[in-house]
Amino acid sequence: MPILFLGIPLLAVVVLNLYTWIDRRSAFFAALIASLCQLVLAAYAVVRCFTTGEAMTSTFFGTVTVDLISAVVLFMIAMICCVTLLVAEELVKSHRFTFGGTMLLLMMGMNGIVMVRDLFSLYAFIEVTGASSFLLIAINRKRDELEGAFKYFLMSALATAMMLGGLTFLFLLVGDTSFEAVASYLQTRGGEHPTLVTAALVLYTSAIAIKSGAVPFHSWVPDAHSSAPSPVSVVLAGIVIKVSGVYSMIRLYRDVFGFDPRLGQVMLILGLASVIIGALGALGQNDLKRMLAFSSVSQIGYIVLGASTGSAIGFVGAMMHFFNHATFKSLLFVDAAAILHETHTRNMDEMGGLAERMPITGVTSVIGLLSMAGIPPLSGFWSKLLIVIALWQISPWVALAALVSSVLTLTYFLVLQKKVFYGKLNEKLAHVTECRGRLRFVELTLAAVNVLAGLVFPVLLMLLRGNGML
Amino acid sequence: MTSVFALFLTAAALLVTTAVYSLIITRNLMRILLSLEIITKAVSLMMICVGYVTDQMAAAQSYAITIIIIEVMLLVVSVGIVFGVYRQNGHLNTDDLNNLKG
Repeated sequence: MPILFLGIPLLAVVVLNLYTWIDRRSAFFAALIASLCQLVLAAYAVVRCFTTGEAMTSTFFGTVTVDLISAVVLFMIAMICCVTLLVAEELVKSHRFTFGGTMLLLMMGMNGIVMVRDLFSLYAFIEVTGASSFLLIAINRKRDELEGAFKYFLMSALATAMMLGGLTFLFLLVGDTSFEAVASYLQTRGGEHPTLVTAALVLYTSAIAIKSGAVPFHSWVPDAHSSAPSPVSVVLAGIVIKVSGVYSMIRLYRDVFGFDPRLGQVMLILGLASVIIGALGALGQNDLKRMLAFSSVSQIGYIVLGASTGSAIGFVGAMMHFFNHATFKSLLFVDAAAILHETHTRNMDEMGGLAERMPITGVTSVIGLLSMAGIPPLSGFWSKLLIVIALWQISPWVALAALVSSVLTLTYFLVLQKKVFYGKLNEKLAHVTECRGRLRFVELTLAAVNVLAGLVFPVLLMLLRGNGML
Repeated sequence: MTSVFALFLTAAALLVTTAVYSLIITRNLMRILLSLEIITKAVSLMMICVGYVTDQMAAAQSYAITIIIIEVMLLVVSVGIVFGVYRQNGHLNTDDLNNLKG
């Protein structure tokens, strides 16, 4: 069954390209059908992995596997792709066929990253995901879009070259690139060639840090996210940087390299720097989408911090924040897309008083931002609570720093709300109306998911505790 | 065996050094692409060499060919982006690629 997650998008792309001469408008429809199929299949996979407790392996020599973490991430991928396609159908006016097809390829690449059990396949799927994201960012061939796409390409090419370098070292030592072989070699004979193993680890860590936009390597994130067309920002911030960066990080350090306290310290520093510098960067922005992109850097930092503790509670917190960030960040980017569509500006100084004109967008963005700042009972509170508890066991100072940056999150949230939604209505924006149709539907659905997740998470934690996972 | 490995390793290291040097000094988008290509070629060379040393030529060859295919795909996309920049700006200098900052 796992092979279906790769097969459905690929088949949809092939069929789409065969039938272009019938109806070029069918691209969105096909992509939406594919992502809905994946939503159902992934929900089934989550339930099955949770009840049976074992992974589902495909017939392809067991090279693609879906376990509980993969199933949850597959579900998120399908959800965010659905949201993106619904938003794009409303907002994308030109190159619609290319957009639908590339979204399918992006989906296939991300599904591949989530399911593979082999370092080289991981590299291949990361490249597929990267190439489709560059295409999507630069799809309208405007100047800023091209610049953002080129910066992303530059960083991403360096990252994948580093990843290949690390892969070569491991291939030299182990003679195989499957996760099991590398993991068992590093466990039994990892001490024989410490230099090569350390070099491979350093290369992999830097590559993944670039891909996830952790702080010393975050320069491309705001550029690519703010210049991309609105629907593409939703999918980039919502899921792409998390799957190709943070997910691979968690997967590699859990299943391949094994957790090491020194590695944990490196990730702790990366995460803490991202949390603080991302939040400070967001404070200084005037551009709505740029502010949200910097806040992505900061929230990715929280996920890295949770994973860096190496304890079960930190890991569960990281995965929960993974899910929460996917929902509230895509909600905020959908809101930004609606605002951009109505006002035609991203500059927050030119906005103001939009809450009376766009009540639904205003309320949903308040829900998203409160969830991001970790206000109970919204979903973001539970994940941040778990992460801070896990950090407290390592070092109270780091936990305190994470809490203080949560206050910074609240600060830039207030700045955003005040500049965009409150205050006096700008005269230029008197004609603005609430977004309609699919955009409104998407906003309300994502806000409902945020609130519901906050109510369901305590129950889920009890379930995990009963299951012995926490 | 070891001497062959050392030779390949030196060649790869030289290639990476060249590419990183040109990446640092160049202000031309096309040259940036070429430098990135050279880095990947160095890694492919390493891959072949490792396959030779560990006596796994079949795996190494298939990896190298897959790397080449992936690179072609990426190059098509990236040259498309650079071509788009050229059509907008009229030249390939990176100095004008500074709209986004802050």
